[in-house]
Amino acid sequence: MSRFFLLKTTANQEKVVANLMEMVIKKYQLPVYAIMSPKEVKGYIFVEAENVEDVLKAIRGVPHVKGLVKGEVGFHEIEHFLVPRKAAEQIKEGYKVEIISGPFKGEISVVKRVDETKNEITVELIDAVVPIPITVKADHVRIIDKSEEV
Amino acid sequence: MVDYACKKCKYISHESVVCKNCGSSDLTKEWYGYVVIIDPEKSQIAEKLGVKIPGKYAIKVD
Repeated sequence: MSRFFLLKTTANQEKVVANLMEMVIKKYQLPVYAIMSPKEVKGYIFVEAENVEDVLKAIRGVPHVKGLVKGEVGFHEIEHFLVPRKAAEQIKEGYKVEIISGPFKGEISVVKRVDETKNEITVELIDAVVPIPITVKADHVRIIDKSEEV
Repeated sequence: MVDYACKKCKYISHESVVCKNCGSSDLTKEWYGYVVIIDPEKSQIAEKLGVKIPGKYAIKVD
């Protein structure tokens, strides 16, 4: 039965660490089965292995690894990362969101309409003098207030 | 130096026009989450993702 461990890494180097660890694991034939870096968790990676000693062997000499988080992680705690929900499903009308990419990056806006099938939302910028609806991909916004006030 | 994920099997191919896993040419740069599967037979993560071949996979593909 495999167990899950959490490693702290330098932010944005999760992929590099996973690739380097894979090389070490293959070289020494370690019983480490998978490495996962979900988008939602910055600066950490999950390692599926038989025991903690193998994880420690796999990170030996690997740069950007800051350490192993004490204890284990249950599979039920990481399962939800593997079945990604569409971003639009988590956003409701009236939510206050910040646009995080595109020409309106950094603008705060209020959600006016959600299209779950297209994974798009229509928002209105708060700072705009005249409210103009803008349709953006739901992945391109960050929720800042879920109070649903309009 | 761009990695592409296959829209069908989510396998990540490096600098390639076809998926090295399933042969599909439907690849995308827009992918999120990164999983390295080393032993698909023993991995619960691989089982959950339905992965049977070792390699690098995206969790979400746009």
